[in-house]
Order: sequence, then C-alpha cells, then structure tokens
Amino acid sequence: MTEWTNEPGLCPLRSSGPRPAGLGAQAEVEETLKRIQSHKGVIGTMVVNAEGIPIRTTLDNSTTVQYAGLLHQLTVKARSTVRDIDPQNDLTFLRIRSKKHEIMVAPDKEYLLIVIQNPCE
Amino acid sequence: MNEGMSWEACVRDLERSCQTASISTAEKAAQTRKHVDAQVQTEAPVPVSVPPTSLHDDPRLAAFLRRVEAMVIRELNKNWQSHAFDGFEVNWTEQQPTVTCLHTLGYPPAQGQGLHVTSVSWNTTGSVVACAYGRLDDGDWSTLKSFVCAWNLDRRGLNPRQPSAVVEVPSAVMCLAFHPTQPSHVAGGLYSGEVLVWDVSNPEDPLLWRTGLTDDTHTDPVYQVVWLPEPRHSHRFQVLSVATDGKVLLWQGLGAGQLQLTDGFALVVQQLPRNAKLKKPPRGETEVGATAVAFSSFDPRLFVLGTEGGFPLKCSLAAEEAALTRMPSSVPLRAPAQLTFSPHGGPIYSVSCSPFHRNLFLSAGTDGHIHLYSMLQAQPLASLQLSHKYLFAVRWSPVRPLVFAAASGEGDVQLFDLQKSSQKPTVSIKQTQDESPVYCLEFNCQRTQLLAAGDAEGTVKVWQLSTEFTEQGPRETEDLEQLAAEVAT
Repeated sequence: MTEWTNEPGLCPLRSSGPRPAGLGAQAEVEETLKRIQSHKGVIGTMVVNAEGIPIRTTLDNSTTVQYAGLLHQLTVKARSTVRDIDPQNDLTFLRIRSKKHEIMVAPDKEYLLIVIQNPCE
Repeated sequence: MNEGMSWEACVRDLERSCQTASISTAEKAAQTRKHVDAQVQTEAPVPVSVPPTSLHDDPRLAAFLRRVEAMVIRELNKNWQSHAFDGFEVNWTEQQPTVTCLHTLGYPPAQGQGLHVTSVSWNTTGSVVACAYGRLDDGDWSTLKSFVCAWNLDRRGLNPRQPSAVVEVPSAVMCLAFHPTQPSHVAGGLYSGEVLVWDVSNPEDPLLWRTGLTDDTHTDPVYQVVWLPEPRHSHRFQVLSVATDGKVLLWQGLGAGQLQLTDGFALVVQQLPRNAKLKKPPRGETEVGATAVAFSSFDPRLFVLGTEGGFPLKCSLAAEEAALTRMPSSVPLRAPAQLTFSPHGGPIYSVSCSPFHRNLFLSAGTDGHIHLYSMLQAQPLASLQLSHKYLFAVRWSPVRPLVFAAASGEGDVQLFDLQKSSQKPTVSIKQTQDESPVYCLEFNCQRTQLLAAGDAEGTVKVWQLSTEFTEQGPRETEDLEQLAAEVAT
C-alpha cells in the first residue's frame, strides 16, 4: 500500500496509476481535499459544480456561496476571453492576486476547484 | 357648465345609432361580521446552505480531483515561495496625503448658550452626522435646555451654521446613537436619566419614544446608549443605556410612544469579581457607576463597561446571578460582571472593542492614559500616556486593525498607528484653537475616510483622513494578532 504523506513537495503526481485497494471514491475525494487544505497558507478549499453550486467546502456557508457564485461567473468570463482571442486555446488555470490573499481556480468541464491561499510576505 | 355646441355643416350625413342590449344587474351587499388582524413581515433570509453531497457524484468528482490536484499543488508551492509581488502595491483610489477638515458645523443658538458637543453619531448610510449638545463639566439639569442637531452632508447647499434637523430637548443630552438600519432614528440619553428616541426626518413631531420618569428610569445622567438587536428578532432593535447610578438597562419601544424596560443589570460593589485589587469604595456606596459601554463584534452577548472607579468590567448579557440591589425595578436586575480589569488612575470615559480581534479593547480615562486590554487577562497589555489632561473618547478604526483615534482634553484628536509607532501618535490634529477639550469622536463606517469630532466650543468638525489611515495593508490582521500575542507575554 502506498503511503501518503502530508508534505506537499513529496506528493507524487497522480496520473492514472493504480489506487490502493479499499479506498472508495468518497474517501479519495476527502483525502485529496484534506491534502490541499493542509498545504502551507491555505485558508479554504471548495469544489463547485458546473452550475456554480458548491458541493464540497471547508469554509462557512455564506462565504462559500459567495465565492462559488462570483468565481464561477468569473471563470466562465475568463474562459470565453481566452477562446475569443484564440479559438484553439483554452483556459487551464485562473489566479487572482489581491492585497490579502491569492485565489486559485482550476477549471474543468464539470467542476471547479477553488483554493484560497495566504501568500508568504 | 357650458352648453354643448354643435353646428351643422352642409354635408350629407347619415344617421346611425346603436345600443347595447340592456345589462341585467342585481344588488348585493356584504359586511364582515368578525375580523382578525394579521401582520406580515419578512424575516431575515434563511442562510443558503451547501446542499448535501450526493453519493453517485463521487467517482466523477474523484476523477476530476485526480486530474487537477498536481497542478494545484504545484501552484500553491510556487506561490508560497514566490517573491514576485513583494512590495507591489496598486493605487485604486485617489491618494490623500494629509488630513483635512472638510466641514466645521455648529448651531449658533447652542453655542451662544455655551453648550458643549457631548456626543456625535453617524447614521447607517453614512451621510448624516448628528450631535448632541449639553455640558460635561457642570450641568444645571433643572433649567438647561439643549439640542440635538443633524446635518446631511450629501445635501446641496449644506449650511454649516444651519443643521438639516434640530430637535429641542428639555434637558442636556449626554449621548447619542443612530439606529443601525433606520437612517433617521436616533436615540439619546439625557442628564435627567431619561432615554429618548427621535425621528429626525419628521420636523413637526420628532419624538418617537421616551422612557418618561418612572421607577425604572435611571436616576443619574445616562452616559451612553447603544442599539442592540433583539434576541429573537434580529432585524428589530432595542436600546441599551448605561448611567452612573450603576444600572445597565434594555428598553423596547412600544406603540404608545413609551419605552418599556425589558431587561436590566445592576452593578454592585459586593458582586464585582475580586480578581483585581480595587480601591475601597467610600462608605455607604454600593453602586458602581457605569460611564461607557462597548459590545464585542465577535460575540454579541459580550460587552465591556467602563466605570467611575476606573476599572473596566467584562460582562455578559447572559449572566444569571441576581443583583443585590435595593433599587426599584419592574424587571429583575442581574449582575453582569465576569471579570474585573486592572484600573486606570481615574474614571474611564470611553471604551472601544476592536472590530478585528476578538479579545482586544481600549479604554481611556481621566488619567490621560489609554490602556490596551485583552479579555483574557486583568492587567492591560499596554498603557500609553497621550495627554496630561483628560482623555474623553477612544475609538478603533473600522478599516485599519492597528489604528485608533483618541480625543484629548488639550483640544486635539490623536491618531495612533500601532504599526508605525506604539509610543507616540502618528498624527495629532488640532481641533480647537484655545485648547478647549474635544469631547467625542466617531469614525464613519460607510465612508471610511471621514472622522467626526465634537468639542467644547460647540462645533463638530468632519475630518477627511489621509489614505494611510483608510487603506488596509496586506497583513494587518496578522500583525494585530502578533501584537496581541507578543505584548501578552
């Protein structure tokens, strides 16, 4: 059984390698989100579906709903901007840097992964 | 009525007429024999909750996370180690380099009587500033008539000598507080111990509610009033008043213009927590006069009282112990104090809880010192001497976690930025020319660059703060936490 450590730098690249037996899909989701959440400086992690509805979150409800709605709209807009400039191109990652922290959005066809990190200054 | 005029032109005309068939009508009457009153009111919206996860999504979700996890971890690492944005700042607003006085407001009849501005308050929209006139040194409370004046700063043709609304009050007003959601309702506490609520948008009859002089009313001047949300209906508010008779009372406005006592607390010397050494009170006195109150922004039932004895008290609305007082009251009074903090050298005039840190609060008193306390310990974390005279007001800034302002008896408003210096004020604004005291100040929470301060000459000055006081730096909340932690050790 492969050992999972919490050190971010040593986290192996997860491609389509074999999963350890006994790890159901739900447990795998929880493990992955916990790994991301425990990374240095991360304030919150959430997963939003294609309609902008949050389905997993580590923050409180009102904040989550706000982030989910606003960032979903922004991601759609960012993606259309990239594709309008070059239809062969597509959005792979979105980062917003603000005075207080950095918001990272990993987009996909069905979901969005949003991570909020407090950068080292 | 004119007669209809018609004329015939030499034109061939045909006559046609039509008529609708007669409509059948019938008469019926109805009357309610009994009726029931019902009221409709929107409740605060139920917070939207994250919907429960559905199990059959998990394999797809797991696959998605597998796809993106590596990229996200890589970016998180890069961000953590990056120095790309060090020292990078963006100017979104126009930079204001110095503090300037925007308005100098006064009401000549009140100034002519030699009245002082005892309290200022901004309304919920941030466009109206109201001030209360009274006297803070000696007050002849039987004959002194005073005023509450409000200026709407957004109105064109603002005349600084002519308030948008003036309310005449039969006794000196000691404190003022605008309603948190109603832009024109304002509560005030009088020297006579009454608490009144006015509607400044109604010049004919501004008085909405009053406590009247009943057994429940304070017997000493009311030094501060605060609006609190009701425990069960958080969109309705009640008024809390503190006075030097030792009572902290909660009032509710009833229909007939009467403020009804719903809850109350009494401070009795024997019931104060004995964790700090206090001076023995003069013989016979059992009440502890309260002069200031501040509620925590993090725990709505936790509040701090400033007292005449110079020691702040940590209190809770949920305290259950009955107060050992013989003062008459229609509602049983409770003893609210949970912790006694180490005292100042004289009575406290003002307390303020930090909007950014759950444990920090400031107190200012007649010894000219500001004490920074943590709710967790009785000794102050820091003590700063700002003035050789009294300090009348202290307020944390609503936008900068490390900034606070203090009003001094030497006539200036001092702005402290704990990030720059913890020993001396960053800016000292001279409000009065003859060094007469500044009695009150309030930050405007909507327009965060405005600060109103009222002084003994009867003028209210609205100061526009420089950008350094209104824009939060990147790590200020963390710096505040660090400050609280390091000073505590």
